[in-house]
Amino acid sequence: MAKLSTAVEFYQGTKGPLFRLIRTPEQVFAYLLFIPPLFEQANQTRHHITRSAINAYQQGITTIVFDHYGTGDSSGELMDANLLLWQQDIIKQIAELKAHSSQPIYLSLALSAVLLLSDEMLTQVDGLILLQPDFNGKRFVQQFKRLALAAQLSGNAQAKNSQTRNSSPKHGGDNEQKTIDIAGYQMQAALLEELAGQALAKLSDFNGDCYWFEWQAASEALSPAKIKQQQSFAQKDSQLYLYQVDDVKFWQATALHISSSYLTQEQAVFSQLRSAQGESN
Amino acid sequence: MTSAPSIEIVTEQVTERKVTQTSAQLIKLLIGIIPNYQDDFWHAETELFGAIAEFDSMALVTLIGEIEAHFDITLDDDDISANNFASVASLTELVLERS
Repeated sequence: MAKLSTAVEFYQGTKGPLFRLIRTPEQVFAYLLFIPPLFEQANQTRHHITRSAINAYQQGITTIVFDHYGTGDSSGELMDANLLLWQQDIIKQIAELKAHSSQPIYLSLALSAVLLLSDEMLTQVDGLILLQPDFNGKRFVQQFKRLALAAQLSGNAQAKNSQTRNSSPKHGGDNEQKTIDIAGYQMQAALLEELAGQALAKLSDFNGDCYWFEWQAASEALSPAKIKQQQSFAQKDSQLYLYQVDDVKFWQATALHISSSYLTQEQAVFSQLRSAQGESN
Repeated sequence: MTSAPSIEIVTEQVTERKVTQTSAQLIKLLIGIIPNYQDDFWHAETELFGAIAEFDSMALVTLIGEIEAHFDITLDDDDISANNFASVASLTELVLERS
């Protein structure tokens, strides 16, 4: 196997330097920007995102994996992050790609990463790759907050961090900022409120291609909520391709589990993107 | 000629079947989250909370999400208790109560 051409860099985000890892093939057919899902899901998907990025790279797709401001190896504190800032950082990266290439740009979004989508973002990209997208912000936040309850239950020391509290604003003034600490993630309570307000409506005007991977046993029917989401999407101008993954939900497993079924199907999508772009060049 | 079973017996049989089915579905969800045990490890009396090292707060919350999606039910924050998550059997009881 040829050595990967990988560049690690810190680029200037909206508020500070952000870590990103770029894999650039010799001949570039497209760009794929991986939007990390939120909080613990970023850790739970990291291994598969790396595998996906390498697979895409081998099909002639430049892949970019990065960390949001205040997370992972990027600068800043989660406490200073907000939804708009993260969205601006993504838009900035897309704009940079568009500025130096006319090749198509795709976003890969796993789980809660779709909560970061904005209308502006969707008008700038050619397609989306969705992995078990979690469009229900309210439900995502509810699950995240339940971590605090579960930690209390287990007598975990983190339980003491579970309560929402008021803290004095950094720069004085009368307004108090509500902060929250769940499972070691310290943030403004407003961030969770912003995320809870996100929903599928964000995709309403998208007219690119969408490759949707849904984990579901072959013997089981899709839940009514998922059917509704997919129908809603299919009614738009976009082209929706559905892929069923009958495999362990790797991000939930307490031990590393490679979802070969997903990786194989996704590789076929990358190959398809390359073929389509190769024909149009 | 045998007489028809009484309403009580039929009700009991239906309840027993529901318990068995729910328990089996819960075990399937648990195997997806905690895959590193043999299938025969899992049964109605398998203890969960405090008994399995991998059954931590993250696994517990993941399981709640899967239960809500699979059984189309909503669990309250009050349902997150050591008693409810003590074993497959206690969890089965909770799911049937909320269904």
